[in-house]
Amino acid sequence: MSLLPSINRFIRHIQRFKGWFGGAAALCLITGMYLGLITSPPDYYQGEIVRIMYVHVPLAHTALFGYTVLFVGSLWYLWKRDPLIDNMCHAAAGMSAAFTAVALVTGSIWAKPTWNTWWTWDPKLVSFAVLLMILAGYLMLRTMVEDPEQEGRYAAVLAIVGGLDLPIIYFAAEWWRTLHQPLSISLRGVSISGDILLPLSIMSIGFTLLFTYMLMIRTQMLYLVNLFDAKKGRLLSQVHLSKVGQ
Amino acid sequence: MTSFYARWAALIVIALILSGLTYQHYQQNLASVTPEWIVKNNSSPTPSIRLEGMVKSGSLSGNLDEGQAEFQLVGDSANVAVHYNGSPPENLRELKTLIVVGQWDPAQQVFRAREIVLVTNYGFVVSAYLVAMIPLILLVFSMSRKVTSLFQVIKESKLYEPQAEFHVDSR
Repeated sequence: MSLLPSINRFIRHIQRFKGWFGGAAALCLITGMYLGLITSPPDYYQGEIVRIMYVHVPLAHTALFGYTVLFVGSLWYLWKRDPLIDNMCHAAAGMSAAFTAVALVTGSIWAKPTWNTWWTWDPKLVSFAVLLMILAGYLMLRTMVEDPEQEGRYAAVLAIVGGLDLPIIYFAAEWWRTLHQPLSISLRGVSISGDILLPLSIMSIGFTLLFTYMLMIRTQMLYLVNLFDAKKGRLLSQVHLSKVGQ
Repeated sequence: MTSFYARWAALIVIALILSGLTYQHYQQNLASVTPEWIVKNNSSPTPSIRLEGMVKSGSLSGNLDEGQAEFQLVGDSANVAVHYNGSPPENLRELKTLIVVGQWDPAQQVFRAREIVLVTNYGFVVSAYLVAMIPLILLVFSMSRKVTSLFQVIKESKLYEPQAEFHVDSR
């Protein structure tokens, strides 16, 4: 049995529960913000400023998750050429760009009181900014090609090539000497206390659910826009043909 | 569309209530007073409060390694004597602006502090949360509205009707 119809069925099935994803995301984000802003302790060195971490780090994780969805979806599209997957990739790119931009801005706000600068040419920051450029390029490319099949193919190739940036972002703090702190959660273990880990995890789950919810809405929106355009085009051609017939 | 806007209005009301509660919590627990306020209200002991000021040059003495220190905290126009007794302070230096947490002792005319914390600019924290949440919420709102309106347009217009067979008269 082909895997493709079952994936399509799964996506259509899960779309029916998108409201639940939205509700769960809101619940996680409210709980995470309560724990992060009110119950978690201030940091020994950074004081209250550390509370920015509960929003910046999960946003950055979600942006990387979004690009991973785009990367895997693009591979899938090149293999199966399923327009639904192409639609989902288009939606994932837009959402991922939004999360990347917001993660960069919140990181900049955090950098000012801790590093005394809004921006520094640090490998982690630069590779993250490059990710935003790649996503902007991807979205621009999708508006430039006329043929939808060709558009999907070119965009998928760009997304796969851009995927090379993901390991650079992830390991930048390990590979180079940077201002950015190294990974707190890795295969070597967890180097942060439970008081901080709990709100951080809940916020990460919340933003991932929010991304999924937004991805569903945007996929649906792009599908409806395409449907609307196709039906309108068909109606126009029908009018045109009937006029030709007269 | 009415139910769509009603749902979003309910969400905004909930968000405003939660923001108000968070603001109230910070006002109650993290608002600080100045040395001028202490001098003005020095006749009665206070509950645990946060006092913000700068450590006066030449006033710091005591055994910092054992967590004991005496110093003067300076405001715009008043000084308050502080006796600190707690864990060894990391951030206690002369000419540094900081917050001491403790109680005012009117009998000894001294502020008895048990904790020293850094002065925080909450503007950075608040702006980071607003910058994170507002664009994402607006994006969800605009996409949901677009989906709802597209559904409506497709349903209400003739575009929704199944396409009828049409023939081109070849005569």
